[in-house]
Amino acid sequence: MSGLIELKQRLREHAEHHLRVAAMEELRGRYPAGTTPPYRDHSGLLWRYGFVPLYRRVPWEVKERAMHALGMTAEGSGWTPPARSPSDPWVPPANLRR
Amino acid sequence: MSERLIVIGGGGAGTAAATIAKRVKPDLHVSVFTEFEDIAYSPCGIPFVHGREIPRFEDLFLSTVERYVADGLDMRMETVVTDIDLDRRIITARNQHEGFDQLVICTGFTWEKPSVPGANLEGLHYVKNIRKAMEFDKLLDEVKRVAVVGATPLGVEMAGNLGHRGLEVDFIDEGPWVLGEVLDPDTAEPVHKSLEERGVTLRLGTKVEGFVGEDHVRAVATSEGELPCDIVIVCLEKIPNTTLAVAAGLEVGTTGGLVVDDHMRTKVPGVYAAGDAIEVPHGLTMLPIRGLTGSHAYAQGRTAAANIAGEDRVYDPVWIPWGLVGGDYTIGGFSIGETLATAMGVPYIVCKGVGVSRARYYPGATRTYVKLLADPTSHKLIGGQVHGGEGVKERCDFLAFVAKRGATIEDLAWMENIYSPPIGALFEPIAIAAQNGLAELRAGKVQASATPAASPAGSGVPA
Repeated sequence: MSGLIELKQRLREHAEHHLRVAAMEELRGRYPAGTTPPYRDHSGLLWRYGFVPLYRRVPWEVKERAMHALGMTAEGSGWTPPARSPSDPWVPPANLRR
Repeated sequence: MSERLIVIGGGGAGTAAATIAKRVKPDLHVSVFTEFEDIAYSPCGIPFVHGREIPRFEDLFLSTVERYVADGLDMRMETVVTDIDLDRRIITARNQHEGFDQLVICTGFTWEKPSVPGANLEGLHYVKNIRKAMEFDKLLDEVKRVAVVGATPLGVEMAGNLGHRGLEVDFIDEGPWVLGEVLDPDTAEPVHKSLEERGVTLRLGTKVEGFVGEDHVRAVATSEGELPCDIVIVCLEKIPNTTLAVAAGLEVGTTGGLVVDDHMRTKVPGVYAAGDAIEVPHGLTMLPIRGLTGSHAYAQGRTAAANIAGEDRVYDPVWIPWGLVGGDYTIGGFSIGETLATAMGVPYIVCKGVGVSRARYYPGATRTYVKLLADPTSHKLIGGQVHGGEGVKERCDFLAFVAKRGATIEDLAWMENIYSPPIGALFEPIAIAAQNGLAELRAGKVQASATPAASPAGSGVPA
């Protein structure tokens, strides 16, 4: 496996972990019943105090555009986003129409 | 000589790929290579046999090797594939080379091992292989105290079932609630109560720092102190098993899963992959994800088979309906919940409602709680969670499907539903949640979350 792929995997893993823990702390404020503070140690301070606040300041539309532009989404691997248009009825393939 | 398909892996994806390809194209010579002794059983049922909800492990078998052979498959049991040569189109197993025209890689996953001292001690168990589970089940008769590490779906099922069996269970996880990766805290609360009623001690917000013992584990060292135990069950993340494929030169993505297209094709012609070894995009964001369910693995295997047999079958990006029973309580959802939406920064509004599973007066009616997440501008569904008694699974399947088709909360607020006292109430809980959400929107009481300008507090909950 190339070093670049490993680096990308590690970056994604760290980013997701710290964003998730920050989200959990926020959600605990909203729904305090039955929860306990998540475990936190002193590692990942840069992620916690640098990356997470910065990521949260950027609007989703900008993040979404950036993820597509940077090739982080699956379109480059041969996938097509679903149309998600309820007004368009599903049409059976031609060979199954009677 | 007939065309030859080799399938590596005998799990859900592998068996689906092999059997469907043979069925659709009978002249195909299909060989299945698996390192295990058994095939076609449900590993998802293992926790429930340990918990004595299901009487026997034998009940988990769906078919036999002999049946597959009778159907024309060439079954290579207990045969490890050690090499794939994509240029020469051969695999190596037991030092023999075997050629293929088409190949499907369904090598599944391995469990993440804790990277702490003592992780190699005896007494740490991983749930996967049914024969090992049968042996482990005998051991459970001799122990009293069990530590379950990791509040993943498997962890929740194991903890609840071992509690049901009468064992003392410490359930340890760093997160503030169980299933923290997918579940929201309001949905987790009844699961916590139900697990505790089964005798499970929740150790949340607690880090595992090591395993203590000479040869055999006798305690788990945690950030909250040492917890004595007779055995440990490790239920951490599923890691795609891609070693063989990567050594052959196939590409992995940012999740560690193999990269495939929407036909389950890798970038090498005639080479497919499916199941827990691959990554597929989430329908909402198109970001690759991995570690889905057995039904996803099976559907991916079917897709690969159909395309190998000459059809043009597309596998859609996923909306992930999921559900499980935590203790005695049923929870489920689809796509994302508030926790993941907040983590990703996806803007959303929340619509909540409570209904009943049958007519209110009909014996056995249970409350059904529905939480829908929708896009603040288009009102299209983007995720949700459902919990309660009956009908959670069906509602989550339905919601995932209509979200994929672009349904809005207006669509759901005015949906038709079955009213029949033993099976459905007059008011459908999903419609109640959607109507509540619309009422809040009309009253101006709902704030969109996750965009700092719209909501400094980040609240997506109806006021």
